[in-house]
Amino acid sequence: MDQDQKEKSLFRRGGCLALLILLSSIAPFVITEFYLSILCEALVMSMLALSFNFLFGYMGQLSFGQAAFYGLGGYAMAMLMMKVHLNFWLSLVAGILLPAIIGLVVGYFCVRLRGIYFAILTLAFGELIFFIVFKWHNFTGGDDGIQGIFPPEFLRSPIAYYYFILIVFLLSAYVLWKIIHSPFGQTIVSMRENSERTEFLGINIARYQLMAFVIAAAFAGLAGAIWVPFYRSVAPSYLTWIKSGEPVMAAILGGPSLFFGPILGMFIMTFFHAWVLGFTVYWPVVMGTLILAVIFFLPGGILGFIQEKLNQRRERLNQLTEK
Amino acid sequence: MSFDVLFNQFMSGIARAALLFLVASGLSLTFGVLRVLNFAHGSLYMLGAFLSYSVWKFLLMPILGFYIAAIVAALIMGALGLLIEFVLLRRLYSRGWPEQLLATYAIVLMITDLVKWAWGGKFLSIQRPKPFTGAVFLFDFPFPSYNFFIIGLGLALVLFLWWLVYKTRLGDIIRAAASDREMVAALGIPIPWLFTWIFVLGSMIGGLSGAVTAPFGSVALGMDIEIIVECFAVVVIGGMGSLPGTLLGSLIVGEVYAFGIMFRPELALAFIFMVMAVVLIIRPWGIFGRAER
Repeated sequence: MDQDQKEKSLFRRGGCLALLILLSSIAPFVITEFYLSILCEALVMSMLALSFNFLFGYMGQLSFGQAAFYGLGGYAMAMLMMKVHLNFWLSLVAGILLPAIIGLVVGYFCVRLRGIYFAILTLAFGELIFFIVFKWHNFTGGDDGIQGIFPPEFLRSPIAYYYFILIVFLLSAYVLWKIIHSPFGQTIVSMRENSERTEFLGINIARYQLMAFVIAAAFAGLAGAIWVPFYRSVAPSYLTWIKSGEPVMAAILGGPSLFFGPILGMFIMTFFHAWVLGFTVYWPVVMGTLILAVIFFLPGGILGFIQEKLNQRRERLNQLTEK
Repeated sequence: MSFDVLFNQFMSGIARAALLFLVASGLSLTFGVLRVLNFAHGSLYMLGAFLSYSVWKFLLMPILGFYIAAIVAALIMGALGLLIEFVLLRRLYSRGWPEQLLATYAIVLMITDLVKWAWGGKFLSIQRPKPFTGAVFLFDFPFPSYNFFIIGLGLALVLFLWWLVYKTRLGDIIRAAASDREMVAALGIPIPWLFTWIFVLGSMIGGLSGAVTAPFGSVALGMDIEIIVECFAVVVIGGMGSLPGTLLGSLIVGEVYAFGIMFRPELALAFIFMVMAVVLIIRPWGIFGRAER
C-alpha cells in the first residue's frame, strides 16, 4: 500500500469511527429506554470481549475464564460500596485492582501453558473463583448475590449512566489500542506469530504473557465494576463459564484478527439476545447454533470476511490499473 | 483423629476416584487419539444420567431396571457421539483447535437446553440397585455398598482400557495414531474410521458414568460443569491422553477432595487446585504427559 492509499484508508477509518461515536452520543434521544439499557450492556460486554481478544487475537492464548475477572470486578465494587460504604470512585479503582491482583496469581500458573492447556487451566481457575464466591455465603451473599448498588446522584438516570459507560468504554478501547500498538504490544503479537524466535531475541515469554494477562484481567474487572451500579445488583452467574463463553463467541463472530471484531460480535450477540428472549427462554441453544454456523460458514468472522472481500477487490483494481 | 475416621475418608476418596476415572478416561481417550478436547463430555455424562433416570422409571423393574437403564443410556450416548463426530467434528480436524473447542462448547449449550426442556430444573435420583442397597461395615464404620459397585466398575474399566490400548491390534493403532497420525494413515489405516469409533467409545463411557452416578442422588442441571472441571484437574495433573496418568490423577483428586472436605467443605475444590498448581510448576504437562506446543 503506498502512502496516498494508506492516508486515504486511515481517513476513511477515522470517518467511520467519528460517525459511530456521533451516533452513539445521540442514541439516548432516539431509542427507547429498553434499547438504551441493551446498548449499555453491549458496550460493557464489548469491553470484556476486547480484554479477551487482547489475549486471544493478539497473543494467541484463548482464556475461557475471563468472566471470573469480570465478576470479581463487579463483586469488589458491590461489596465495597454496600459493606464498607466506600465512595463510588474508590470502589471502581478497587474493581480494577482486585481482578488484576487475582489475575497475577492465576496468570502465574496459566502462562506456563500454551494452546488448549491454557484454555483448560483458565476455565478451571475461573470455575474455582466462581465456586468460592458461590459457596462463601456469609461473605459474598452466595446464591443471592448483592442488591441495591447505586451510582452517585448525578449518574442515577439511565441516560447519564449511559454516557458514563460510553466514556469509560471509549477510553479503555483507546488505551487497549495504544497498548497493542506499543512496543510491548508488538512483542505480544510476535509471541503469537513465533514464540521460539521471540524467545531467541531474549524476551522472557512468561513474563510478557503474565503482564498481558494482568492487563486483560484489569479491563475485564473494570467492565464488571461499571456494569454492577447500572444493573443495581451482582450475582455469581456473572462468573460462570457460560459468561466466559460469550466473549469467545463474540470474537469468533466478529473476527478475532481485527481490533473492532469482538465489539461488532458482542453488539450483534447482545441485541440478538434481547430480541430472542422476547419469544423463547432457550437462548443457549440459539447461541450454540449461531456458534456452529459461524464456525462452518464464516471462518474469520464477519469483519474478517468483509476484509477478505475488500482485499480481493483491491487486488483486482490493482491488476486493472497495472494493465 | 482416629484411624477409623481416616480410613473411612480414604475409602470414600477411592470411590470418588473411581467415579472420576470413569468420566475422565473417556475424555482422555478421545483427546489422546483425536487431539480434540471434548468440552461436551460432561454434557454427555449429564444426559446419560437423565436418560438412565427416565428409562429406569419407565421399566419399573426392581433389580435389573437400573442396569438396563445404564446400558441403554450408554448406547444412546454412543449413538449421539456418532452423530456429533460424523456431522460436526469430522469437518473440523483440519481447522485450528479453537474452532474445535468452540464447536464442542456449542454442543454443551445445546444439551443444557435439551435437558432443561425435557426434564426441567428438578433434582432427580434413582434408588440404589440391588444388591448394592445396604452398607458394608469396615472397622465398624458403615460404608455404602454402592460405592463398591462404583469402585468395581472403575477397576473393570481400567482393565478393559488397559487391555484395549496395550494388548490388542486396535490398541497398537490407537497408540501409533496418538504419536504420529500421518504415519499411521500412510500405512493404510483408515484414520477417519478410527476417530469415529474412538469418539463413540468415549461418548459411551461418558453416558455410562453419568448413569451410574444417578443413584448418588445428584441428577440435576449443572452436574456437567461440576464434573468436567474436576476431570480437567484429573487430566492436567495426570497428563492429557495418558491412561496411567488419568488413573493417578483420579486417585489424587479423589483423595484430596475426600480429605479436603473433612477440614473445610467449601474449600475442597480449592485444595484440588493447589495440588494442580504444584504439579504444574514441577511438570507443566502433567505427571505422565508429553511436552508439546
